[in-house]
Amino acid sequence: MQAMGKEVTIVMVEDDEGHARLIEKNVRRAGVNNEIVPFTSGNLALDYILGEDRSGLVSAHRYLLILLDLNLPDMSGIDILEKVKSNPHTKRLPIVILTTTDDEREIQRCYDLGANVYITKPVEYESFANAIRQLGLFFSVMQIP
Amino acid sequence: MSSVNINFIRSTLIMLAIGALILLGIVGSSVWLVSQNSIYSEQVAQMRRVRSGSADLLSVLQDAETGQRGYLLAAEDSFLQPYEAALARLPERIAYLDKNVKGLPAFESRVPELEKLIADKTTELKRTVDLTTAGKVTEALAIVRNSSGRLMMDQIRVILRSFLEQADSTLSVTVREQLDAANSLKWVTIGGAVAIVIVLIGATLVIAQHVRDLSRIREEVELLNQGLEERVNERTEDLMRANQEIQKFAYIVTHDLRAPLVNIMGFTSELTTTLKAINAYVLADEKVPTEDVIREARLAAKEDLPEAIDFIRSSTKKMDSLINAILKISRDGRRTLVPERIDLKAMLEATADSVHHQINDAGGKVDISVAIQSLTTDRFSLEQIFGNLFDNAVKYRSLDRPLELAVRAVKDSRNSVRIEVTDNGRGIAPEDRERVFELFRRAGHQNQPGEGIGLAHVRSLIRNLGGDITVESNIGAGSTFVLRLPSDLAKIVRS
Repeated sequence: MQAMGKEVTIVMVEDDEGHARLIEKNVRRAGVNNEIVPFTSGNLALDYILGEDRSGLVSAHRYLLILLDLNLPDMSGIDILEKVKSNPHTKRLPIVILTTTDDEREIQRCYDLGANVYITKPVEYESFANAIRQLGLFFSVMQIP
Repeated sequence: MSSVNINFIRSTLIMLAIGALILLGIVGSSVWLVSQNSIYSEQVAQMRRVRSGSADLLSVLQDAETGQRGYLLAAEDSFLQPYEAALARLPERIAYLDKNVKGLPAFESRVPELEKLIADKTTELKRTVDLTTAGKVTEALAIVRNSSGRLMMDQIRVILRSFLEQADSTLSVTVREQLDAANSLKWVTIGGAVAIVIVLIGATLVIAQHVRDLSRIREEVELLNQGLEERVNERTEDLMRANQEIQKFAYIVTHDLRAPLVNIMGFTSELTTTLKAINAYVLADEKVPTEDVIREARLAAKEDLPEAIDFIRSSTKKMDSLINAILKISRDGRRTLVPERIDLKAMLEATADSVHHQINDAGGKVDISVAIQSLTTDRFSLEQIFGNLFDNAVKYRSLDRPLELAVRAVKDSRNSVRIEVTDNGRGIAPEDRERVFELFRRAGHQNQPGEGIGLAHVRSLIRNLGGDITVESNIGAGSTFVLRLPSDLAKIVRS
């Protein structure tokens, strides 16, 4: 996965290390070999994406794809989505919501805020692995600005 | 309310009955007095007729006598005219008196005597006049001179005078009686009027009292109605809030339980995959395993297998701790509350003592000020609430200044108290101020151990006590947790 000839970095915001490991395994199995930067809390992820001053300047010339869980211990994933999508430097970064929540209104809200893809984590592992693998295919055809 | 009505009806009926009786009395006595009066009037008129009849009779008789005397003296016919006129009127006068003394025994008894005297006198008059007309004047004068005529006239005069006197005295008595009767009528009327006025005033007072009672009762009912509406609204809000909380709780629980489940199922499948690599090596039998198979099997046994098992174990533990946390909250929610009078200052000091050394070591201080009269609530719940809040204050203190913890308890309204727990810690961001009270949710940097249960537990405890907790905060400067509690839990439990 490349953008403008550069490797895209996948930012994975996921507090559950088990989930993070399973996602990584399945992303790799889908043949995606991009660097994955994992974060287990919202604040650390925001520090990386928007910088510690939250200005977003650090990401001005970075090519990132964000995998975001909504149920984080320190803040709601929706807050992160809102902050990233409202920052002029980061609003074009694709964000994939990957979470256990399947509430209709929550999904609607995420799309309203500018989420690119919303995936509910299935409990059934086959479905889970499938979803991630399809996401891998999606990554491989995706154009990142 | 019905007793008020019954009283009202009873007293109004009594008033009405009294009024009606007085009216009847006045009408009855008036009718009686008026009829009495007409009897008196009739008596007076009769007496007047008797009197005038007597006077007329006397004057007629005197006219006749005067005419006779004149004729006897002058022997001229012109003198005879008054005499004859008087005689002509005499029978009519007698009949008139006769008619009017009927029914008056005092007069009637003397009438025959009077009539006889008048007849005798008339006879005497006629004889003298006849004698004079016949020219026997001397004879006539002799009759006059023997004075029997004069005596008769005197007797007549005495009788008629006595008639007059009697009539006069009877008249004055009757008039006095009539006056008395009129007076009585006046007093009865005045008395009746006064009584009616009193009854009217009484009735007015009773009605006014009743109207006042009614309006007071109506006000009470309106007040109750308003209170009822407010209470219903309050209860409905509570119910809606509780319902929303249950839904949120169920949502959080199912989703948070689902997360470790995804891990368990995922790593179980991973185990199966790992097993294939190991099997390829272990069950190779006579065939010599290739380099790849050996490497895969070793990697599986060394890394994938322990990793999967570790994750399954930690996820199971996580599920267990989640279930335990839910159980704890549910158990505390089911606990029977025991309202008792609390010495809030002593309790706060005791709770502060448990975090005393952590605060003092860093040069911090605790300031407790209690300005409420009394607080009756569940001791265990309140201890848990303050324990959690104080622990949080210590845990999330700002690292670049000593902790200053202040607790201020004041009266909020008639039935509630307000307790503020203020710290100068790291604060809570605006978007997290509701979230911190949710189960398994935490805010800010995750540099402290915790499961996101404390404040959820605190909120559930305080809502069980009929109160609520909110937080005001300045990020980086500190937070104030505001608790509102009913000052008497026993009343809430009863209602």
